[in-house]
Amino acid sequence: MTPAAATAVLAAPAPPGFLSPTGVEIAFLLVGLVTLGAALVSVTTRQLVHAALWLVVALGGLAVEYLLLTAEFIAWVQVLIYVGSVVVLLLFGLMLTKAPIGRSPDADSGNRWAALTVAVAAAVALVWVVVDAFRTTWIDLDGPAAGTTEVTGASLFRHWVLPFEALSVLLLAALVGAIVLSRKAKADAAAPAAPGKEGAR
Amino acid sequence: MNDALDVTLRLLVVFVVFLTFPLIVGQTEHKVMAHMQGRLGPMYAGGFHGWAQLIADGVKFAQKEDVVPAGADRRVFQLAPAVALLPYLLVLLAIPIGPSEGAVGQVLDAGVFFVLAVMGVGVLGSLMAGWASANKFSLLGGLRTAAQLLAYELPMLLAAASVAMAAGTVSLPGILHAFHWWWLPWQIVGAIVFFVAGLAELQRPPFDMPVADSEIIFGAYTEYTGLRFALFLLAEYAGIVVLCGLTTVLFLGGWHGPWGADGLGWFWTLVKTAVLAFLVIWLRVTYPRLREDQLQKLSWTLLVPLSLAQIALTGIVKVVIS
Amino acid sequence: MSHPSPDHHPVTTPPGRPRRSIPGAGLAKGLAVTLRTMTRKSVTEQYPDALPELPPRTRGVIGLFEENCTVCMLCARECPDWCIYIDSHKETVPPAAPGGRERSRNVLDRFAIDFSLCMYCGICIEVCPFDALFWSPEFEYAETDIRDLTHERDKLREWMWTVPAPPALDPGAEEPKEIAAARKTAEKLAAAQAEPADPQEGA
Repeated sequence: MTPAAATAVLAAPAPPGFLSPTGVEIAFLLVGLVTLGAALVSVTTRQLVHAALWLVVALGGLAVEYLLLTAEFIAWVQVLIYVGSVVVLLLFGLMLTKAPIGRSPDADSGNRWAALTVAVAAAVALVWVVVDAFRTTWIDLDGPAAGTTEVTGASLFRHWVLPFEALSVLLLAALVGAIVLSRKAKADAAAPAAPGKEGAR
Repeated sequence: MNDALDVTLRLLVVFVVFLTFPLIVGQTEHKVMAHMQGRLGPMYAGGFHGWAQLIADGVKFAQKEDVVPAGADRRVFQLAPAVALLPYLLVLLAIPIGPSEGAVGQVLDAGVFFVLAVMGVGVLGSLMAGWASANKFSLLGGLRTAAQLLAYELPMLLAAASVAMAAGTVSLPGILHAFHWWWLPWQIVGAIVFFVAGLAELQRPPFDMPVADSEIIFGAYTEYTGLRFALFLLAEYAGIVVLCGLTTVLFLGGWHGPWGADGLGWFWTLVKTAVLAFLVIWLRVTYPRLREDQLQKLSWTLLVPLSLAQIALTGIVKVVIS
Repeated sequence: MSHPSPDHHPVTTPPGRPRRSIPGAGLAKGLAVTLRTMTRKSVTEQYPDALPELPPRTRGVIGLFEENCTVCMLCARECPDWCIYIDSHKETVPPAAPGGRERSRNVLDRFAIDFSLCMYCGICIEVCPFDALFWSPEFEYAETDIRDLTHERDKLREWMWTVPAPPALDPGAEEPKEIAAARKTAEKLAAAQAEPADPQEGA
């Protein structure tokens, strides 16, 4: 990190260019490649649990990217939520299935071409939007960190408080829906059983 | 040059702590558990009261054959112990033991989140082990591990969030700088919830359903032998050190103590951590294992509401005093 | 961590008090028990370093007091797993008084117990009418070969010297039968001696 910082300090007065990348930029690119590769393997592998584990690598790589952009808070939350909870939930679900060790012959979907099209379209759209939005904006990584908890919190709860609240209402709706679904299933299961019990008596 | 030396030194210290403290906790567990059961525990290895028992155990583990079952998913199986162990090493980096700048491996802006996130990753090791062993007991152990993690991660996070709210920061040294003694009664419910949830996440008795040896042999670790098995055990004890250190830092005021606040901060941290580690052992000896449904019930119907209530209380007090 | 539900509550709750105690009282009690045990001395015997203090009636090994043995073979016959080997021959003893009859007497040649078969039931000791067999608390006679567990009379005799004196009776226990019998005889004798004296005194 130290030599990288030194290079960055040296390069600071000159306008940044693509041809003399700093250490951080190289690291960013390399981690990005790893993340992309892991993501690709995770959708193409036929070993279900391996797919989940490659997903861990991809999500972890994303967290490292956030870190490199000094968005420390976002990075840890990414690890906490995605690696710590979502993947665990995924693995938990996989363990309940008959996923074999080794290749699952039926892990291939018939509509793989449709999926590929959607994925490529989504990727192109995202990349285009991001590139179009930021162009050659450079994040100054050497100044005060732009992604500290304080900065993130301030922007989240000042500028973006409405989307944040809307999202929480959405999550609340999902929560209520889950409870309703599970309770309904329970009531259905209990309903036929109850008369049977009475009849037995 | 000086910087590099400083970083190396810090990493070295953290590594040494990582290697020795779990062993000390393990040895204490041997002896304390023995005496709580009216026994003596190890008495031979090393001469004086069996102080070198765990070193002897380590030598024994190193000599054993490293077996990978034929039906296992080889690479995942072999990778799992490292995934289980390394997160705790990373967490140790972030725990401050004294008020000065040099008393923490690395100051992190979002320390609380870092610590909780990385601890959650450690459980992935158990899941990988459980799935890759190609053993029904391992699979059951992995399932139970996952279910337990899903249940207890939430109250743990909420309890930690309560402290972060009280301090107005999510950095571990920042929380300690903001600490006052009256936080102790204020956050006591959160402390208990955090500690209990942490115990459950470490799968320590009475929350050791995932490794319940009387029913599923040793859960996810059933097929492991030799050094890899030792790494899992080391992970458990490193987890105890980390959990106790974290509880100390978040809820018990870390380096704050009745006297000697300047020079003796590290001493207070260590004493509090040691007392908590003793508590962990004490709980293990005293209570029987919780059944799977009791485990889930405890978390969802007791710990989660309690932690939510703690957050509400924290918020109210915070608004009132500001 | 859930405290026991009220209907599972310990029987130890004294009657008269409300059955429902403070939540967590049971948990605290458990912690107190383990902590108290920790502060007490542990019960572990550190055997090879410190020899155990065995009670005098310990069934460690069987010792033979061969002077008492008459080769009656009762022990060998009663032994449930036939682990006692006895060889003997007869000797004639010259008459005690001149003109008397010659007596024949059993002489013990071999007395061995196979401790790999012995199940330490103690029947041989019970049936011996002449008190030739005794329990000894000695127990360190493991061997590396099972055949070495058959111990001959010299070894059994060595063990005899490790037999401790029988423990004193409990205060208030019934007195031993033989002492009771001896005392009765002595009393009778005393009475018989006293009787002729009585009339003289009365006269």
